[in-house]
Amino acid sequence: MLIDFILLFLFAGVPYYLVFENIPVMRKDKIFPLAALLVIAGMFISYQFPQETSMPFVMVAFFASLFSLHKANQTNNLCKLTYYILFFNAPLLIMFKTKESILYGVSLIVALMGVYLMGKYYARSYGSPNYQSVSGITLVTPYAGLILTVYFTALALYPPFPNALLFLNGILKSEISILWYLIVIVIFFGNFLIAVRVMAKTVFGKPNDNVHYIDISPTERVVHLLIIAVLLLLSVIGLQEVLS
Amino acid sequence: MEKLVLLIPFLPIVIATMIGFLNKKEHMPKVAIFFSSMVALLALYGTYYVMSTDQDIDGFGGYLIYNELSAILVPYVAILGLVIRKYSTKYMWDEPGYKRFFVLLNFIFSAIYLLVMSNNLIILTIAWQLMSISLYLLISFNVESKSAIKNGGWTMLVHKLADLFFIIAVILTYKTFGSFELSELSQKWLTLFQSGPVDDAMIYLIGFLFLFAAMMKSAIMPFHLWLPYTSEAPTPVSALMHAGVVNVGGILLNKMAFLLLLTPAVLNVAFVMGLITAVFASILMLAVSDIKRSLGYSTVGQMGYMIMEVGLGAFSLAIYHLMVHGIFKASLFLESGSLINQARKEPNVPRRLSHEIFWEEKPQYNSINMFRMIAFFAVFPVIVFTGVKFLLGEDLFHFNAATLIIAFAWLTGTQLFLSFFEVSKANSPKVILALISSFILVLFTYEFVGLALEHFLYGENGALFYEVATLHVSGTMTILMLIAIMLVGWYFTYRQHFVGVPLGEHKPNKSKWRIYKMLAKEGYISDWYVKYFKIF
Repeated sequence: MLIDFILLFLFAGVPYYLVFENIPVMRKDKIFPLAALLVIAGMFISYQFPQETSMPFVMVAFFASLFSLHKANQTNNLCKLTYYILFFNAPLLIMFKTKESILYGVSLIVALMGVYLMGKYYARSYGSPNYQSVSGITLVTPYAGLILTVYFTALALYPPFPNALLFLNGILKSEISILWYLIVIVIFFGNFLIAVRVMAKTVFGKPNDNVHYIDISPTERVVHLLIIAVLLLLSVIGLQEVLS
Repeated sequence: MEKLVLLIPFLPIVIATMIGFLNKKEHMPKVAIFFSSMVALLALYGTYYVMSTDQDIDGFGGYLIYNELSAILVPYVAILGLVIRKYSTKYMWDEPGYKRFFVLLNFIFSAIYLLVMSNNLIILTIAWQLMSISLYLLISFNVESKSAIKNGGWTMLVHKLADLFFIIAVILTYKTFGSFELSELSQKWLTLFQSGPVDDAMIYLIGFLFLFAAMMKSAIMPFHLWLPYTSEAPTPVSALMHAGVVNVGGILLNKMAFLLLLTPAVLNVAFVMGLITAVFASILMLAVSDIKRSLGYSTVGQMGYMIMEVGLGAFSLAIYHLMVHGIFKASLFLESGSLINQARKEPNVPRRLSHEIFWEEKPQYNSINMFRMIAFFAVFPVIVFTGVKFLLGEDLFHFNAATLIIAFAWLTGTQLFLSFFEVSKANSPKVILALISSFILVLFTYEFVGLALEHFLYGENGALFYEVATLHVSGTMTILMLIAIMLVGWYFTYRQHFVGVPLGEHKPNKSKWRIYKMLAKEGYISDWYVKYFKIF
């Protein structure tokens, strides 16, 4: 019971919604690292104290997740989006068995880390992580376009990226119930809709004549290449897991 | 040596990676075409091996297989891919993102090969979704176009729904039958079928989930809108979409054929949905004013027909149909560029080969005679055909394959009739002869090639599907019904075009106008989508 409560607290963004959203304790762009740390802490706790999660907690996480979906749909800020997506996936992290939950959580955090760094790049190049008017980057900043496409394809739960494979692995190895169907359907479509919405406004669209586009630097490319390499490594693990 | 064939799904990824490292634009298509030729040769070798030794090629721990179905489809996809790449070389030259296009093209081909050659439901799931995302990126290739992106989003939504249905079906299959391996599952399903009738709701649910997933990706009504509305994609992508991607529903149902043996109701639903789609989409094809959308509806109609064939147990005919339709539709799309080019040079109708052969200016219509001849010669082969089959004492009428053949005769006959009406001024024996020959050719090849394919793909088990897919309507009854429909259809066509067409201003009556409006607006389905699903 206590473990369930702690996991809910750490995975579903309770500290954020209770404290950080309304009180300016820290800058919004610092919240994702903190949220990711809390989720990692949650994964560590669930690894140390493996147990069956009770359904009421999964349900509460699901309602919190719906709220995060709404928030993710409202924002045009890449940095904010990262932690909303993380909180949105909380029911899966709670519902999956320990190993599957950890693997899915890690792949999610890695992909979101990439998006977060892209948010930082936006802030540096265009003054803010807001992507609203920086459209059509595929044509004008092809590297940034390619990298963002990879991250959002992964987040939209498409293979060959690990999120899709580990999502499949997780749902395959969990018990089927009405709540299972509900959560699987909502999270499967929710991730997709968020990702496609962002892609339509960033990767696609007409380049804005009023914006001076700057592609990512060679150093940043190396960092993103490493993140993509980690994602592909996780894909191999995911494939092994789901086929085992 | 033969195991090399199993590398086919991975070769396009290697090609894409190589293209990714190339800097010179002119080298990209050369690399793509050279290595795609290798893929096609490898596929042909695999087909030769399977046909000559009567053995499947399997490997990668049993995850991939080159069996009879792959032996037919992989060379088809490979050769189609080669043609599309060659066409794209010049067609896409001036487009921004030349490299991106070739990379994405190779990714989607990899997904299609993987889908056809997979022998494991997990691999199939991965290929199924890989194809969706590659398609999205190709449809949205023209990133500056707002409508292309919006329609791409709609396409993805339908495909994502298909992915969800598919994933749930795979999970339920595993929970029910305890395996992911398709050849093992097929054997299990066949044994289960032979041990007596199955009355398990879970098996029916799995069957329906696979059917609906297939229907969504094959643009069957009411999930069809994504196909007619994505014509803004580059022409090679349209050709690929109409000749390859949209066929995956039929391929999936063929892979699941032995599961569907256990679920006759699923086959019956497939038949009804396919029939509705075939008829409705064919009407819309004639009514819509946008030529590209009209082609889209033509494909939807053909896909409806393919699903209808599956619903009647003619799985192998569906494969034949999708291949023939794919070649036809791809050539239509790929020919469009040269036609436009010709049209720019010539103020009149571009003089294609068919035009050169058939067109003859006549001062006056003499359509009634022509109509009689067409009607006579189109009905005549059907009668001869069924008579021959009946006299030979084959089991044709025991199965609903008869329905299928006659329905196809009707649809093709009507479409041919309407197409040739356009050249009705060319009231010459040449036109009549061409019409009759094509009609007979379609009818007979459909039957005999279909049968040959059935023996190759399913052997003795082929007949089982027809038994299961029965609609409990006697063969004679269905034939009589279809002949009646055929005759009524032709009568209306005749009346519409040849009798009492006023020369002056003509106002249709209100009800006819409403029907036309409804059809021209595509049944208001697209308006309804736009109004109530404001997602993208």
